[in-house]
Amino acid sequence: MLLLIIFVLTSVAYVVGRSRAATLRKNGEQLHSLPRYYGYMTAICTAVPALLLLALWSASEPTFLKHSTVKTLPAEVQSLPQGQLDLVLNDIKNIATGGITQTADDPVREASANHYNDRKNTSQLLKSFFVLVASVLGALYGLRKIGVQTRARIFVERAMMTVLIACSCIAIFTTVGIVLSVLFESLRFFNKVPFTEFAFGLHWSPQTSIRADQVGSSGSFGAVPIFAGTLLISAIAMLVAVPFGLMSAIYLAEYASSNVRAWAKPLLEILAGIPTVVYGFFAALTVAPLVRDIFEGVGFEDVASESALAAGLVMGIMIIPFVSSLSDDVITAVPQAMRDGSLGLGATKSETIKRVVIPAALPGIVGAILLAVSRAIGETMIVVMAAGLAANLTINPLEAVTTVTVQIVTLLTGDQAFDSPKTLVAFALGLMLFVTTLILNVIALVVVRKYREQYE
Amino acid sequence: MSKIGLTIAGMLLCTTVGAQSARDQISIVGSSTVYPFATVVAERFGQTSQYKTPKIESTGSGGGMKLFCNGIGVQHPDITNSSRRIKKGEFESCKANGVTDIIEVLIGFDGITLANSVDSDQLEMSRKDIFLALAKQVPDPNGGDELIDNPYEDWSDVNPELPEIKIEVIGPPPTSGTRDAFVELAMEGGCKDIESIAAIEKTDKDSFKEICHTVREDGAFIEAGENDNLIVQKLEANPDALGIFGFSFLEQNSDLVQPTYIDGFEPTFESISDGSYPVSRPLYFYVKKAHIGVIPGIAEYLLEFTSEGSWGEEGYLADKGMIPLDEDTRLSSAESIANFETMTLD
Amino acid sequence: MNAQEELNTTEVVRGSLKRRYAREKRFRLFGLAAITASLTFLAVLLITITARGLPAFKQTFIQLEVTLDSKTLGVGENPDTNELRRANYNGAIKKSLTTLFPDVKKRKDKKALYKLVSKGGQYDLQKRVMADPSLVGETLKVWLPVGDDTNSYIQGNIDSSLPEKKRRFKDNQILWVDQLTEDKQIQRRFNSTFFERGDSREPEMAGIKGSLFGSMLTLMVTLLLSFPVAVATAIYLEEFAPKNRWTDLIEVNINNLAAVPSIVFGLLGLAIFINFFNLPRSAPIVGGLVLSLMTLPTIIISARAALKSVPPSIRDAALGVGASKLQVVFHHVLPLAMPGILTGTIIGMAQALGETAPLLMIGMVAFIVDVPTSLTDPATVLPVQIYQWADLPEKGFVEKTSAAIMVLLAFLIVMNAAAVYLRRKFERKW
Repeated sequence: MLLLIIFVLTSVAYVVGRSRAATLRKNGEQLHSLPRYYGYMTAICTAVPALLLLALWSASEPTFLKHSTVKTLPAEVQSLPQGQLDLVLNDIKNIATGGITQTADDPVREASANHYNDRKNTSQLLKSFFVLVASVLGALYGLRKIGVQTRARIFVERAMMTVLIACSCIAIFTTVGIVLSVLFESLRFFNKVPFTEFAFGLHWSPQTSIRADQVGSSGSFGAVPIFAGTLLISAIAMLVAVPFGLMSAIYLAEYASSNVRAWAKPLLEILAGIPTVVYGFFAALTVAPLVRDIFEGVGFEDVASESALAAGLVMGIMIIPFVSSLSDDVITAVPQAMRDGSLGLGATKSETIKRVVIPAALPGIVGAILLAVSRAIGETMIVVMAAGLAANLTINPLEAVTTVTVQIVTLLTGDQAFDSPKTLVAFALGLMLFVTTLILNVIALVVVRKYREQYE
Repeated sequence: MSKIGLTIAGMLLCTTVGAQSARDQISIVGSSTVYPFATVVAERFGQTSQYKTPKIESTGSGGGMKLFCNGIGVQHPDITNSSRRIKKGEFESCKANGVTDIIEVLIGFDGITLANSVDSDQLEMSRKDIFLALAKQVPDPNGGDELIDNPYEDWSDVNPELPEIKIEVIGPPPTSGTRDAFVELAMEGGCKDIESIAAIEKTDKDSFKEICHTVREDGAFIEAGENDNLIVQKLEANPDALGIFGFSFLEQNSDLVQPTYIDGFEPTFESISDGSYPVSRPLYFYVKKAHIGVIPGIAEYLLEFTSEGSWGEEGYLADKGMIPLDEDTRLSSAESIANFETMTLD
Repeated sequence: MNAQEELNTTEVVRGSLKRRYAREKRFRLFGLAAITASLTFLAVLLITITARGLPAFKQTFIQLEVTLDSKTLGVGENPDTNELRRANYNGAIKKSLTTLFPDVKKRKDKKALYKLVSKGGQYDLQKRVMADPSLVGETLKVWLPVGDDTNSYIQGNIDSSLPEKKRRFKDNQILWVDQLTEDKQIQRRFNSTFFERGDSREPEMAGIKGSLFGSMLTLMVTLLLSFPVAVATAIYLEEFAPKNRWTDLIEVNINNLAAVPSIVFGLLGLAIFINFFNLPRSAPIVGGLVLSLMTLPTIIISARAALKSVPPSIRDAALGVGASKLQVVFHHVLPLAMPGILTGTIIGMAQALGETAPLLMIGMVAFIVDVPTSLTDPATVLPVQIYQWADLPEKGFVEKTSAAIMVLLAFLIVMNAAAVYLRRKFERKW
């Protein structure tokens, strides 16, 4: 509501500011900027202080209300520990908002609730008042500033630049946030389990300690098998995605008529748009039994029901469009002149593609593949639903393996106790995942930058 | 431009509003095994009382305990479901965070079944057979008390009466309570029937447990996710495999899978509740006493859960596959729960 | 000699030409095969899901004559709301079933008989009576949803030729249902419940409204946060940023964030928003925050690409007539790049709509019946709902899961189609 009023005021400020400037200009004054900028300036002066005040007030209001309400409670309630006090306050708030409560008959709490409502209303009123005053004052200030001397455009542009720069820093904050949120827990884990054991241990078995006397509760945290499993599944996925994706991209870029291209490309992209839960559901119920039947039919034994192959295949299909659309872009970016040259020498189209276009586009294609790899490594739902949890150290795609992401999910949602290395290790795995994708990305970036051929 | 400003302000506002609004809804976390039962009660509770339907998160028993024990207050859950009893360490961490008065409710049992596809023969085995087929180390079949890595490949190697099919058991991961209960009840039970190992128990309890509780890792036991439906689907696709899952899934899929007799008993309501079927585990939930009377509806929720119509033999929880407690226990615990008696951990 | 050689060369060339053309053909076929294979897979996936989920859009109803006398309901003379809410509607339904089949006497058979009607039927009755308390004492004909097993029998999913032991639907139940069908007391209709209700533990009463609203609220937060921020970032980086270490760092960061696994964003949300800022668990606002951090890089990258594709001549022209740098960007470059930016945004939003993994970490895997109405109400989202339903024991949830997938896919395909349309419509060659 208040936001709406501020918005209206801001719009009014803009209109008034502009028309004022326009009048000045009509009167023959030499203004620095166009009238519109004076309007913008007034609007900023109106909105920004008001919004800041509003945010500040809203942020501090609960604390203030809490203190004020607590004071109305009997002393013994006031001396309760923080958590219980919060509960009492919650109850009072429920009474105050007319929600369902069980202590509604308690006169003391009723009184507090009334007090709370009272204070809240006052606070709301004051808030609205001050915020409106702030915006009106801001508007007046802005209007006063309109004049020949003021460089409204510079003012507006500075304000906008600040916003732009602030926004672009959010990416940095996100990264910092990720690192911070996984780093501390990981460090706690590495305090309990040495890093070397984690990184080089060949045995992964975060056995439960559901009960204290349970055996195997020490667990072993050699992460090699799960990284191997992740690599195996990703490798299978890439074996599917790279040939299919690349060939699709080549066909679409070089052979397909524009009509086919117009239809096939969006259709392919739908594959990338299908949620991974759906792929997981499909992989587990349809593909995994199929893979098993086929291979047992051919005479293989020991085909696990949750073979790495099934998860890898489906994941590969999911990744096809990533490879194809990125490669498509790089292939089309190869200048036509190079193709013409090769064709002019009598090479067939496929020879041109193989000998000229692909080598020219190679850095870009490698970059695309690396990005697809990091996608495969971080994929969660398909493997959670279709791959197993057995940490086998194997390269046999028909066996069940497990991946980093599966382990994070099971470790954080399992039945075991928290604060043990078993859940902390999930954060360590998260850190590893982050670092791995970071490294892959940097490599991709370097490859593209270093080997990119500059045409034109 | 001002749009950006507005959004940022809006974001700030939202965060503060979030912290400000009061909670009038019960918040429940915890085990995914209790989840199917708790949700039925919650739904009914929401429909037939003036309170809101409780929110139930499926976080796993451990995750639930962690959230539950974080403290008293609106932002912490009121109830946690658990497919095992609260651990001493958890109880203490609860205490340290001010969660001192906890009401423990044992609601019933979940039978753990070993089942295979209806397309193959129904099996009958003892717990000893299960142990021999699934343990990592077993006594040397050629005689002697030496423990060797499990050499059995077919069920008929374990017990000549069983069919000659490959041992392949699909079961939950070690992080799951189902697995824990299965290992303790089925495998340890079978362990005790082997004299040479039972002798170890008297001298060295730890190594006894280690022998009995360690599941083989050579591929005969396949760790599947916690999704029991997928295990059922996999059994359907692979008639030779056996699967381990909760009784409720067996009930719902009786047209696809059939249970294995264990020690001569088929898992049924009767055999599980009278204890003759040996593999079942208790289901609990825990309530913060401090929240009762403050967060609306908790007492009524407890009442609904512990009424005969829900957890009784004819109740709707039994319809969903939960095995009820016996009548005396139900009556006495319903009474102590109605009085909000708190638990102690010995 | 010379002519001989020439002839040979021609032959050699001819021979090799044949091979080369064959190779050319093969290569082309490979390409075509690759595309066809990918598209076939898409078709297989869609068809499987549709075949599984289609039946869920219809629901079976049974017509019963229910007597709502106050004795059966267990309410007093002038019942108040609370009494009406708690009244024994189930008893009334059971009574009407026993009057319909009076020869069912055994307890076990009675139980089987009661299973014909959904447990949710009583809530339908409850709703009607509470809306109109004068119904107490009346006898009315109502259509109630049937139970899970009955529904799957009528859909033909239960093979009655199997031995009784192997099916969940018993002989006597089949008899009753067949009789009711003959009497036209069983009907299949469009399943409006599926779109009008929140989650439920009875498959025939479960709906996606709750999760759909949850998804909308979450996406709203995501859109409001990520779109302006992403556009601002893209503009800054593409048009203004000086080439220095800092902007390089930002660039690398963004590219990296685009490839960070989504589950890591979930860990971030858990640690920062829930544990540090104390935001409520399972709230759309937290989900939206996490998802917007996740989609930011996607939108930024596509927005930058769109800005980059605006030819420099336009900038030069604008600068040439005296526009300031900011005016150039906001008056000329941005409007031209907008279609491209919107396309990227829609694709980013589609990604966010289908995302599950990070939401598992922030408590959105929850049973929530009430439809969320504000950003801090507990909520779940459509993909998470799918994940949860896939895990429930009741058979009826398999088709509900597939139906929910169909709804989700429909949204995604519409969004993708919109993106494609936008791209086509405004695609320009400079």
